[in-house]
Amino acid sequence: MSGAPVSFRLNGVERTIDVPAETRLSEILRDLLSLTASKVACGVGRCGACSVLMNERPVNACLVMAWQLEDADIVSPEGLDILPETRIVRQALSAENAFQCGYCAPGFVTVLVSLLRNDPDAEMSQIKAALEGNICRCTGYHSILRGAQAAAEAVRAERSKSA
Amino acid sequence: MRVVHPDSLTEAQEIARDAGGTACFVAGATALQLLWANGGAKPDILIDLGGIAKSRGVVAEGGDIRIGALTTLSDVASDEGLQTGAPLLAHAIGSVAGPAVRNLATIGGNIANRNGCLLPVLLALEARLVVFRSGAMREIALAEWLGETATATDIVCSVNVTAPGEGAVWIHRKVGLRRVFTPSVVAVAGVVHFDSSRLGECRIAVGGGVVTPSRLVSAEKALQGRSIESCDWASVSETIMREVEAPDDLFRSGAYRRKAAAGTIVHALKAKLDGVADYVHADPAPPTLASGEIALGKQMLPDRWFTRPDMPEKVDATLSYLTDVREDGMLVGRILRAGVPHARLLSIDVSAAEALPGVAAVVTHRDIRGENGFGIVFQDQPALCHDKVRYAGDPVAAVAAVDAATAEAALGLIRVAYEPLPLVDDPEIALEPQSEAVHDSGNLQTELHLDRGDVDAGFLEAAHVVEEIYEMPRQMHGFLETEGGYARLEADGTLHVAAGGQHNYRDRMQLSRILGLPEERIRVTSSPTGGAFGGKDELTVQPALALLALKSGKAVRLHLDRPESVLAGTKRNPMRLRMRTGCDKDGRLVAQEVDLVSDSGAYASLSPGVLETALEHAAGPYVIDNIRTRGRLAYTNNGVGGAFRGFGANQMTFAVECQMDRLAALCGLSPNDIRRRNLRTPGMPGFLGQRVSLTERCDEMLEAAMTSRLWSCERGLSPDGADYVGVGMALSYQGNGLGTIPHDEGGGVLRLAEDGRIEALLGLDELGQGLHAATVSQVADFVGCARDDVRPITGDTLLAPDSGSTTASRGSYVLWNTARRTAPEFVRRMIAAAGLRLGREPEDLCLVAGGIADRRSNSGDLLISYVDLAAALDPDERPSVSTHFAFPKTEHDRGNARYIFAFGATIARVAVSRATGEARVLDLDLHSAAGPVIDVASYLGQMEGGAIQGLGFTLLEDSLMRDGAYLTTNLDTYMMPGVADTAERLSVFAQESLDEGDDLGPRGVGELGIASVTPAIVNAVGDAIGYWPSRSPLSAEALLDHMETMQ
Ligand code: FES
Ligand code: FES
Repeated sequence: MSGAPVSFRLNGVERTIDVPAETRLSEILRDLLSLTASKVACGVGRCGACSVLMNERPVNACLVMAWQLEDADIVSPEGLDILPETRIVRQALSAENAFQCGYCAPGFVTVLVSLLRNDPDAEMSQIKAALEGNICRCTGYHSILRGAQAAAEAVRAERSKSA
Repeated sequence: MRVVHPDSLTEAQEIARDAGGTACFVAGATALQLLWANGGAKPDILIDLGGIAKSRGVVAEGGDIRIGALTTLSDVASDEGLQTGAPLLAHAIGSVAGPAVRNLATIGGNIANRNGCLLPVLLALEARLVVFRSGAMREIALAEWLGETATATDIVCSVNVTAPGEGAVWIHRKVGLRRVFTPSVVAVAGVVHFDSSRLGECRIAVGGGVVTPSRLVSAEKALQGRSIESCDWASVSETIMREVEAPDDLFRSGAYRRKAAAGTIVHALKAKLDGVADYVHADPAPPTLASGEIALGKQMLPDRWFTRPDMPEKVDATLSYLTDVREDGMLVGRILRAGVPHARLLSIDVSAAEALPGVAAVVTHRDIRGENGFGIVFQDQPALCHDKVRYAGDPVAAVAAVDAATAEAALGLIRVAYEPLPLVDDPEIALEPQSEAVHDSGNLQTELHLDRGDVDAGFLEAAHVVEEIYEMPRQMHGFLETEGGYARLEADGTLHVAAGGQHNYRDRMQLSRILGLPEERIRVTSSPTGGAFGGKDELTVQPALALLALKSGKAVRLHLDRPESVLAGTKRNPMRLRMRTGCDKDGRLVAQEVDLVSDSGAYASLSPGVLETALEHAAGPYVIDNIRTRGRLAYTNNGVGGAFRGFGANQMTFAVECQMDRLAALCGLSPNDIRRRNLRTPGMPGFLGQRVSLTERCDEMLEAAMTSRLWSCERGLSPDGADYVGVGMALSYQGNGLGTIPHDEGGGVLRLAEDGRIEALLGLDELGQGLHAATVSQVADFVGCARDDVRPITGDTLLAPDSGSTTASRGSYVLWNTARRTAPEFVRRMIAAAGLRLGREPEDLCLVAGGIADRRSNSGDLLISYVDLAAALDPDERPSVSTHFAFPKTEHDRGNARYIFAFGATIARVAVSRATGEARVLDLDLHSAAGPVIDVASYLGQMEGGAIQGLGFTLLEDSLMRDGAYLTTNLDTYMMPGVADTAERLSVFAQESLDEGDDLGPRGVGELGIASVTPAIVNAVGDAIGYWPSRSPLSAEALLDHMETMQ
């Protein structure tokens, strides 16, 4: 019971998998490949816990089906370190104690890394807009926003150092 | 399901035509999961349009903009040509779903669904669609296309719009269930040409959700050709309300949609024509701190700010939650839920499921060796139903199979025969004698009374009486990690059950009772877990997991998906609370009467405790001599109620604190004055007459509220006319601990581990609240070592002793007292052991960061590190000190009474939209007095998180049910606050002092943040518009209706 095999890049490594065409990327990661850093909290694109990068943009892994993966470049939270901004963003969020239970954290981190990579000058309104699709039940968001702001500053500082 | 990837439109259409009704076109495919989850049929063939390259990209030439239908929404919105030519479309796209969804979803898909939020904007732009129909391209006006009956084989290829050009203003607004990332209640858009004196061509449209997408032709006519001064906005508004076609749905009435459409169109258009920018409510002045008060945050308290020990692994996504565990050969479990709310269970046939290849075990009530009942207080809940089902989420059977698909297929093969019983879905009707009994004992689960003083005489003295019925929602805990975990039989025969919980020893005891296994043969791991808030206090999936592991002999994992979590999990008890309060002409409270009905749902769980706690807070921090309370808890078939942060106190506080403001208004007193006149004073007995602990801080909290900076912010109508702004306050008075009646003990161990770390063993759970941070902080303080020297070991019956439950704001006390009681002896043994090794007198030694140092030296040099000391000691020489104690209680035995309280004041500044009636929280200042702050970050996090969960309770959240079935089955319609809904500014303050002689240490703040947010917001609404809503979540429609009566 499988579709046509699909080939894609996952965290920098080429993969070919053979699963039913409608298998979701979230299941492929968590159940087939035992990569459990991305979470599933709604399964319908309404919480952002499953966020991964697809061709450099954040998407909801629970909405992406196997057939859509052909030739795609996927980065899950396990592979996010490939991007140089990740370390800076994670460091800033940790220092601010941005999260509580942490279950939403992989999703928020993925979105923030993508945002600050493309736009280190992002202001608070843009940070908020970028995080609209991520739900956190524990924090009330302010700690995450403080961490994101610190992360943006750190990314900018890093860039001006290397510029 | 098969996916085909045609290269051309012709091929795509041929496939669709030949397939009949079982094929569907897809592009981004983002709508499908929700559609299928809600019962939409899966097609046999998905026709992927993605390969048809022509249909992608935005081309802007002159004023004409052609948008390929396959362009993703984010690409459309970020196209420069589009942003210049048709900025309203870019704006509108920003309101569709969330940013990640927009990276996949296409504009063609949004249009083809025919109810997308973009339709009003596209209608206002007079968009034309290029549609491939019957082998030919056709250009057709969007409005016309919407009027046609949908044809399954039409392919939308592009959307063409003309830029409105110079001299046109535009408006767009989507009104939703929350501010963004929301289903549409109604969306409005308009393009109006305007030559500085007169309105030219006007195109105004509505749509979104259930609203029929259409141009508002009469409203356009009413505006066209007018000068601004001569626009009759009132009649435009009426015209719009007549013209908008909007039905009712679960969430909002059609009437509300019409009013909100009219309100937003008129307000936005007026502002645009007058050139008035949206008013930004200024930040309040910096806070003035009372003496002894601190503002919490990394910036304000850099010396007290530490990275939580659990933070890096959470941020790095390397922490494995219990639902993340995967092992070779691990089976996947699933639970069969009743699906019917009330029925006699006649038979269960699992033979076909058992015979399915890949199924390892199927369990039913027949597999239960012990007692088939659990519940923290009353064991009225079956682990697997045997004679009756009492709610749709009741578990009937469970399966374990090689994979999720096989497990799902097996569920479908289990045959259960039911005989339906009458539905009991209204708690008040449930209590009437003719109602069907949910349990044999009847539907009245608990009834509590208190009668003190002479209430009737008190009311006779009253100059003012306020009587109101407060109605409160079935709030969902909404922990992001839904219930789940794994179970397996260890080599030594121990059954290991690992699932998010809040008291592993009690879970173990309950499992032992169900399984008929001795407790020693069961190990329970209950954390880390991705949030709990009371919702993992009762057993959830543990019985099914345990039964499956025992029967299959294999490791089994099981993780509820969100809809099953919604269906099965406990919720906050919905309450209907009638409160009548009287005061004399000076505002002194003379009498109060409280009648509370709480919906327990199908089982008791902790609902009786919630009811009792609510009633214990019936007077809040005020003195009322004449008071009568009655509380009744009813069984129904509405899901299951139970523990939830606040535990009834926050609901009661909603009523008490709003009554105070209403009475103040009647007396002509300020909210502060009326409270000052009625506030309890330190040393008084508690509400139930019990002795209470020292360190009362009601006065200080009222003082903080009175002097709050928020009162001097601008209030009333905002300069742009958009909002009414108000400020409100409420006091919190929150009991800690379980109370006098329940068994409530704690304890733990402090020891030197083999690797030299100082381990704190606590049976408590890290739920996200910062248990680990607080533990390392306290141990370091009492022992003298560094935080990094400490390793908390928690959440596992194998690894740590019983510390009681992680609930009721009791964890802080337990860990503080454990550290306090074990540290002196631990230190003594450490320096004795070190002294022996070093040949030094113990009196000369002390514990410092990293090891043992000379007491008289400040050099920081270690005489021996903890690592070396541990290595030098035999296992039985390594110091280990344990303690066990009772949680402090008062003597009261006539009811469950608290001894320790934490205090707070919440001040809210709220803006109520005149156009939509939506309330938006601008500022929340949370003052607190809960003793010493153990860990600043954790305390701040609990206060902030609690406050915003309370904001959700107040403004957004309700689990709607009909006929015993949840209508809000997932996060698409159950609205937890998103980043745009949180208070715009949120500040937390703490007063840390304890009275002389108070040896109870830090109070818990797990519930203090939520304690009085609701009444603070509602009182701010009252301040803004003179109307105090009594139902939460607040009805925007009720607020709008009230504002209509103002002026
Ligand atoms: S799990 Fe994918 S968005 Fe919620
Ligand atoms: S930290 Fe728990 S959901 Fe965000």
